[in-house]
Amino acid sequence: MSKIFHLSIIIATLCIIPTISLVFAAETTGEYLDRKAEIWNLFFRMMTVAFVVGGVIAGTMVWQVWRFRESNPKAKPTPYEEKGEL
Amino acid sequence: MVLALAKARPVWQIMFSTHHTDVGLLYLVFSLLAMFIGGAMAIALRVELFAPGIQLIEDSMSYNRLFTAHGTTMIFLFLLPSASAVGNYLVPIMVRYKDMAYPKLNAIAFWMIPPAAALVWLGMADFGWYANPPYSVISAPAPAAEMWIFGLKVLGVSSILSSVNFVVTILKCKHPDMSLGKVPLLAWSFLSSSIIVLAAMPTFAAALLMLLTDRLGATGFFNPAMGGDPIAYQHLFWFTFHPEVYVLVIPAIGMMYEIIPRFSRRPIFSHSSGVAAFVILSLVAFASWAHHMYATGMSFTEKTVFMIGTLAAVPASAMHVFNFLATMWNGRIKFATPMMWAVGGIALFFAAGAGGVVNSAMPLDFITHDSYWVVGHFHLFVFGTIAFGTIGFVYYLFPYITGRMYSEKWGIVHFILAFVGACITFFTQHILGLFGMPRRIYDYPEIDSWISMNALISVGAMIILVGMVIFLANMIYSTAKGKPANMEDPFGLGGKYYYPYAQRNPHH
Amino acid sequence: MAHSNWAEWIYVAVVIALLTYVGAEAWNIENLIEHVPEDAEVIKVTAQQWFWSFEHEDGTKEVGELHLKKDHAYKFEIESKDVNHNFNIHEYVVLLDAVPGQINTVWFSPNEAGEFDIQCREYCGLIHYNMRATLIVEDVK
Repeated sequence: MSKIFHLSIIIATLCIIPTISLVFAAETTGEYLDRKAEIWNLFFRMMTVAFVVGGVIAGTMVWQVWRFRESNPKAKPTPYEEKGEL
Repeated sequence: MVLALAKARPVWQIMFSTHHTDVGLLYLVFSLLAMFIGGAMAIALRVELFAPGIQLIEDSMSYNRLFTAHGTTMIFLFLLPSASAVGNYLVPIMVRYKDMAYPKLNAIAFWMIPPAAALVWLGMADFGWYANPPYSVISAPAPAAEMWIFGLKVLGVSSILSSVNFVVTILKCKHPDMSLGKVPLLAWSFLSSSIIVLAAMPTFAAALLMLLTDRLGATGFFNPAMGGDPIAYQHLFWFTFHPEVYVLVIPAIGMMYEIIPRFSRRPIFSHSSGVAAFVILSLVAFASWAHHMYATGMSFTEKTVFMIGTLAAVPASAMHVFNFLATMWNGRIKFATPMMWAVGGIALFFAAGAGGVVNSAMPLDFITHDSYWVVGHFHLFVFGTIAFGTIGFVYYLFPYITGRMYSEKWGIVHFILAFVGACITFFTQHILGLFGMPRRIYDYPEIDSWISMNALISVGAMIILVGMVIFLANMIYSTAKGKPANMEDPFGLGGKYYYPYAQRNPHH
Repeated sequence: MAHSNWAEWIYVAVVIALLTYVGAEAWNIENLIEHVPEDAEVIKVTAQQWFWSFEHEDGTKEVGELHLKKDHAYKFEIESKDVNHNFNIHEYVVLLDAVPGQINTVWFSPNEAGEFDIQCREYCGLIHYNMRATLIVEDVK
């Protein structure tokens, strides 16, 4: 349990410190803020995250579907089937 | 209850029955009928939008009436009743009781739906499924709007009655030997979604009454000309209907929890994490309603609160995805039709959820609000996730209901067409939204990117249509002429199923 | 329930970390764009079924067309005379509801000359689909 606790503290620190520094970063001065650029840049950052995560999840699913299908030569009965526990 | 046509029962015997499998059958047949009607409306809308100018629908009023009826039909007459159908078949069996807690109330809850459907379909209101005031108060044509309001009122009462029934059946009628922690996840999903309905629906019931008296001119709750506040309606509406999204999606996830372990030949990875995720989801469902309303001029603080509330729903949904993938891991998966629908549903559930996270980031609302992005996003949920889970479950229940087997080959063709069609239609709608096309519009200017994407979306919708026609033909043909199913193990998986057909029906 | 669940805990932690990132980024950008420059010119936007009218600070009125100058800041004060509408210049990511009995504000600064579409994004009835106007940004010093 304590391992999990430490791990979550490390993860939290790694995420929170950069976001705080980002949030309180100095605003640009001079010209008016380019609303269009700010919002679309945010959009593309979000899409990068979404597609990376999506790639991992979709990749896992495709691999699972391929590997654990009944017709895969490597497929073997699950322990629960053998013991008749289903 | 076997609907084997060899031993056909007179229709009235099913109609006047209060046995849970009979009521379940009524729910199922009605909801599939509504799906085909609502789907036909969607096809009409897509034909109209195939290109700029008039295609099929002569005037914008008819178009507006059609999209209102399409949304109302799909949500209240297809998705909600189809969930009740599955719940009626399996919840009493899963908690080991002879029937629902209140069988007559159960039948009443069902029989309130057809008259309400008649009100919605004969009225054809034009204000969208959200009846946004002041338009719905001062501008919407008369008998149609009242008919919609009364129809929705009846549907709301019906869904409260059936929720009461599910809650009592699960909590009070479960077998004394069965602790709540041991109740199967499908039954848990009905418990959570029913509790959400009981907490959320009264708000909308009140809002509908206020809308009606506003329309009659007696009050001015939402009419600014009489000192009312139209934003108040939106709060009341979304306080009910954001949680309502979870009411629809939670039973669909419950159905996947029944299909995926069965066809993976492994027990569910973690029953307790599934239960925890359901409970968390039904709590945080109430923390995010105003993310639909960023554009109404909300303050920065309000937006921040509702963005956090929205993001809070994600970990629980992600726990379900994890549970599904971990259950499939090391399994021996048989890709029969129900399993394909469930796995496809999970993939689209993830896509819809990721789009939802992006949506909830408040500055991005300036891009996506009320554009086709939103249309694509929630269709990934309601079609890609909820309808996929439900249709998969219809295939799963088919042998138990009819005593016959559906055609596996055509079931798979149906799945492939629907999955490909859904990807083409709904992902393209996301991109079309980024190009700025508003939703709920009858016609659009000749912008090249809009024209080509709309054409592509309409083609995707046609692919889904072909799949659904195959589905209908498969259901009808297999009910009459399908191979008799092996009722102990129709899918050849080994193991113990929940057998709805074995429930003794006192009515025959 | 014999097996341990550590993988799920790590997974949930990663999900929460990602969500924190999304939330913080969104909060940051929203914070930036909320801040209206002090010298922004006020444009009153009035929506009604089914057209847009505009009033400049000097009293000039326009219907269906809006002329603005490049690289100036403008603050829209949006209201509606009848039902809900939504004022949208997609090209500049300007979007806000026009609600009767309430004034909503949003600001922007056009940095490109040309003609842009203004459209209604909230369903408002019969001619909602064609409730459009044109934004003309002029390049004057």
